Amino acid sequence: MTTGYAPPPSEEELAYLQKLSNEYEPEVTGPLVGELQPSTNITTEYARADPVYIKKTEALPHKYSNYRACRGDGNCGWRAIAFAYFEALARNGDKTKVHAEVTRLKSFQNILDAAGFPSEVCEDFAEELYDLLRKTAVAIPPPDNGNPATDVKALVFEAFNDESTQAGIITFLRILTSAWIKTHIDNYSPFLMGEDVFTYCGRAIEPFRHEIENVGINALFEVLLKPAGFSLEIPYLDRTPGDEVNMYTFNAEYPITTIRLLYRPGHYDILYKIEDVQQPVHTPHSISAPVYIGSFPHHTQDHTNGARGLDYLHMIPGVTLVDDISPYSYGDSGFPSPISTHPPAMQQSLSVHPIPAHPAPASAYAPPPLQIPTHSLGVARLPIQASQSQARTGPFRPSIWELEPSVASGPPPQFTTSIFRNSHYNTAHFLNPDFEPEQWSPDAEYVTSNNSGRRRNGH
Amino acid sequence: MAAGGHKRIVKELSEVTGDPPAGTKVRLVDESDVHIWEILMDGPEQSPYSGGHFKLLLTLPKEYPFKPPVLNFQTKIYHPNVSNDDKGSMCLGMLRSDEWKPPNKLSAVLNYARNLLIEPNPDDAVEGGIAEQYKSDRRGFEKTAKEWVKKYAGKS
Repeated sequence: MTTGYAPPPSEEELAYLQKLSNEYEPEVTGPLVGELQPSTNITTEYARADPVYIKKTEALPHKYSNYRACRGDGNCGWRAIAFAYFEALARNGDKTKVHAEVTRLKSFQNILDAAGFPSEVCEDFAEELYDLLRKTAVAIPPPDNGNPATDVKALVFEAFNDESTQAGIITFLRILTSAWIKTHIDNYSPFLMGEDVFTYCGRAIEPFRHEIENVGINALFEVLLKPAGFSLEIPYLDRTPGDEVNMYTFNAEYPITTIRLLYRPGHYDILYKIEDVQQPVHTPHSISAPVYIGSFPHHTQDHTNGARGLDYLHMIPGVTLVDDISPYSYGDSGFPSPISTHPPAMQQSLSVHPIPAHPAPASAYAPPPLQIPTHSLGVARLPIQASQSQARTGPFRPSIWELEPSVASGPPPQFTTSIFRNSHYNTAHFLNPDFEPEQWSPDAEYVTSNNSGRRRNGH
Repeated sequence: MAAGGHKRIVKELSEVTGDPPAGTKVRLVDESDVHIWEILMDGPEQSPYSGGHFKLLLTLPKEYPFKPPVLNFQTKIYHPNVSNDDKGSMCLGMLRSDEWKPPNKLSAVLNYARNLLIEPNPDDAVEGGIAEQYKSDRRGFEKTAKEWVKKYAGKS
């Protein structure tokens, strides 16, 4: 070793180095499945990469708003698909479908048997998958119950960040995929470049740390996603020329939703479009909440919300307080009309003279209007609506103004606050139906302002 | 599946102890720890290790079955696939972490090890010198292997 050159390594040294390299396991860090991130982070990550990547990553956030990183430990593709599958079930929000998935996956026992997987070994892994499916079904809230998908999302996220739970699920999916390929040899053997299907599955599908390949993705899509109605799209972020990522899509026959992955050579993450990420709006109460259109005159006499100390809000037109007790005011009446949303005190006053306003055509055969009990809101309003529907041709429901002439023809309300003066409820506002432009009267101005008058005269 | 992993190990242990692969005996080193198995393996008759009794340690990682078991020869053995050091590790094929399949069972692992005694794999050797001798000088290899059996793997 006195020369400057090291002697070629001996057989033992080579063998030792080989052993070291065999045993080397790259340190993988980070959560198994990461939090949702804006996909602009990917662009930033590649800002100093080569131009092809820069162009492609710049285009990415236009199409996909968010992404979720998966740990690159050789299972990322499997994990990404499994996680996205659960997420899609949660987003779909159908408990029955989740239970149906358990039944469907259990029915694959025959292909597991055919592929020679002993059930006593597979059932532990399968149970992890079924167990999480069952928990998912339980966590999905019933359709009309407030905020869905929050708890269930946390449940799925935690399960996939639990080392052994996700390992069991991934293992079962590998077994299932392998069994699928082995029982559909004709479909897959043309893509194995001469490799025997069983050798391929033993080498590339079943080993726990082996990353998923195209054949595996196809088989996993066929066995897991396609029958569930989930399409799969995978943009490839690689060095091939072009301004945009290449897209690979697998379409379900009756797609319910689409699962999106991002492929970078050797790695998969999960992608989201903006509509995948947004919480579905599930606030029926606020949507159909009473909006007191045109009912402002009554607010001066009906302050049912007074106890809250928010009276002054009623002074502002268009602003209403949505009652927490709204089920009482509209839920049980069965009338979707805005009228029925009024607090009871108001409704009473509205239904006093229903018949004179719009005599029903059927009144010739019907008992005199007087017999219609006006004290009962529901019964009283029924003939009104019937007559309305016959009389009107337009698409709109009856408004308080049509039903209650005294309201419409009443004197224009007097406004005192500046807010009211500037609103369209003021006759001086050009949107007011009784709009009357204020007229400029020079005389008045001359009287009140001598200075300005003098100046104008001076011209 | 920490509990599930434990359950599986117990199940496999009872299988292997109830119906052990030919020429092997299995017991726990410490009855309270199912993760360390002691294997007594007889040298297969059709191999130069015939007549030897080898003691192996099978260690199951806490991630088992998602990580492969670790197999160490405590009895020294002259074999291309067993490291000639104080570890005596055998790590190839199904035992490598990138080839390990969680559905693999430990009885299969023991059969695999025993078959390697009958037919070493010089192309995936940890001891390159021994592998070279195995390929080019089978007689010399068998001679040394038998000497080592006498020296280290006699009836204890």
